[in-house]
Amino acid sequence: MKRFLKRLASAALALPLAVSISSGTAYADKIRIALAETPSDELAAFFVALDRAKANGLDYEWTAFSDEELAIQAVLSGQMDIGFGTPYSAMQRSKAPLRIIFQLSKLKFFPVTTTKYSSLEDLNGEPILLHSRGGGTDSIANVIEDRMNIKFGERSYVPGSSNRVAALLGGRADATIIDLSNKNKLMRSDAAENFNVLEMFEVEASDEALFANLDWIKENEEDVAIFVNALVSTWRDMHEDPTVIRRETNPDGPIGQLPEEILAELDGFYTDAVEGGLYDPDGGGRTAATADMEWYSAAGQLEGTPDELNIEDFWYLAPLDAATN
Amino acid sequence: MPNRALQLKILSALILCGAWQIAGLIPVSYAFPTFTETMGALFDMARSGVLFEAYAETLQPLVVGVVISAFIGIAVGLWVGLSNFFDWLFSPIFIVMQAAPLAALIPLLVLAYGIGLTSKVLVVCIMAMPVIVLNTSSAVRNTPESFKEMGRSFLAPKHSILLRIVIPAASPVIFAGLRLGVSAGFIGAILAELKITPTGVGDIITYSRSIADYPSMYAAIFSIILLAVLFLNLLEKTETVLFKGNQRGYVSD
Repeated sequence: MKRFLKRLASAALALPLAVSISSGTAYADKIRIALAETPSDELAAFFVALDRAKANGLDYEWTAFSDEELAIQAVLSGQMDIGFGTPYSAMQRSKAPLRIIFQLSKLKFFPVTTTKYSSLEDLNGEPILLHSRGGGTDSIANVIEDRMNIKFGERSYVPGSSNRVAALLGGRADATIIDLSNKNKLMRSDAAENFNVLEMFEVEASDEALFANLDWIKENEEDVAIFVNALVSTWRDMHEDPTVIRRETNPDGPIGQLPEEILAELDGFYTDAVEGGLYDPDGGGRTAATADMEWYSAAGQLEGTPDELNIEDFWYLAPLDAATN
Repeated sequence: MPNRALQLKILSALILCGAWQIAGLIPVSYAFPTFTETMGALFDMARSGVLFEAYAETLQPLVVGVVISAFIGIAVGLWVGLSNFFDWLFSPIFIVMQAAPLAALIPLLVLAYGIGLTSKVLVVCIMAMPVIVLNTSSAVRNTPESFKEMGRSFLAPKHSILLRIVIPAASPVIFAGLRLGVSAGFIGAILAELKITPTGVGDIITYSRSIADYPSMYAAIFSIILLAVLFLNLLEKTETVLFKGNQRGYVSD
């Protein structure tokens, strides 16, 4: 019995050690990317950039998380190297050395209402449907309240722009904030005459950005440089010709495997997105960082005023500077 | 030795809190707060009243769902246990309900019942009811035949046999099912608040996570576990009072 227990104890000790050694070597060269959603048309440009980076020698693997916060936590705990999202509150509160290296998309959202309302001022005291408390659309609503000097009525939360469009169409809501592609779909459909897109101020702040742990970035400068170069080249090519995304999509990759109907809409999606200014061909950089400081402090996700905040505490600009010059 | 039991419980709680504190101090992750930070956040939320407002909302689907599951569950369980026909008719439904991956079925529930209270109560019921029904029915079916024979030989009418022999004999297992069902109900209530629309405690969890206020997030999770443990203890005390002399020893207190 004693011998058995001894053996069991030594096996119990040896097993985790063996696992950690083997996993350590397996991950040594691959960069691990935490996506905040499953691959969809919106990620097609990102996957094109990944393919370009792979051609230049970057070895990677990706994992799709069900939401942005999980992706942020995976990077915080070191299980993932690069994550998707705008983890400003996590950077400020958890004191983790996270830095953003590239702005993937801007916070281009649109207040859409039934014809009951025709301007943002009309929404004073009216209920509104948003994505989630503390999320991007919630911050847009906060800033609208601030700038227009109004106060929305009850805020209810339904995740996903397409679900909020369904709620609008079903008559369960009169006002919401939705993304560019859903706004376009709705306003090009037969039901468009029943809805208004309210005029809103320009937003330069980031919706999705790539971030990583600063220590990891410094240890893997070369990989990060290849990755950021590929992103900049893809974003610039896309600005010149949005159809490049469809052409360069790997038919065997996660985007290429999506249904044909979605692939057929890629050209339209990216043409609209480039026209609507969803992407910055230079990856955001200082302009985006400054806009983010302003936006996220106004939205209540960053504490302090924009001039007290230092962009170097949130962004690591060296790889992007090198890639854009 | 109740004192010794109490001492051991306090010791195990202290070890857990100590391990939590150490893990937070290392820290195992930037997103993992220490025990003291979490308790601080819990007191702040309690002081500002946020926590109680949240519970006022979370308890609605939880209480309604658990009460429905307990009453209907025990009634259906007795029925299924007493009659082979109803066993054949209902048991498979509850076995399927118990095995179904509920989180994956939530979109279907939302489609059918919307995003309001009904869907959330249903999630609680689907989590809680099968355990209660299946435990009750197997407890009733396994009442020792000799007890029932004794009742019949004393010419007891059927309802007396049920009320005075079958139910007391089955009570330990029925209560075990009830305890499991209630814990599953707590899981269901939080699952509904995380997956359907964030309200109450589920809202504190998602919101604190999205603004990276991890101490508040863990405080909300801790509070719901604490509430579940307290409620299970209360349930066990009720059992002791109702069916004295029938306890077979539990570890959950």
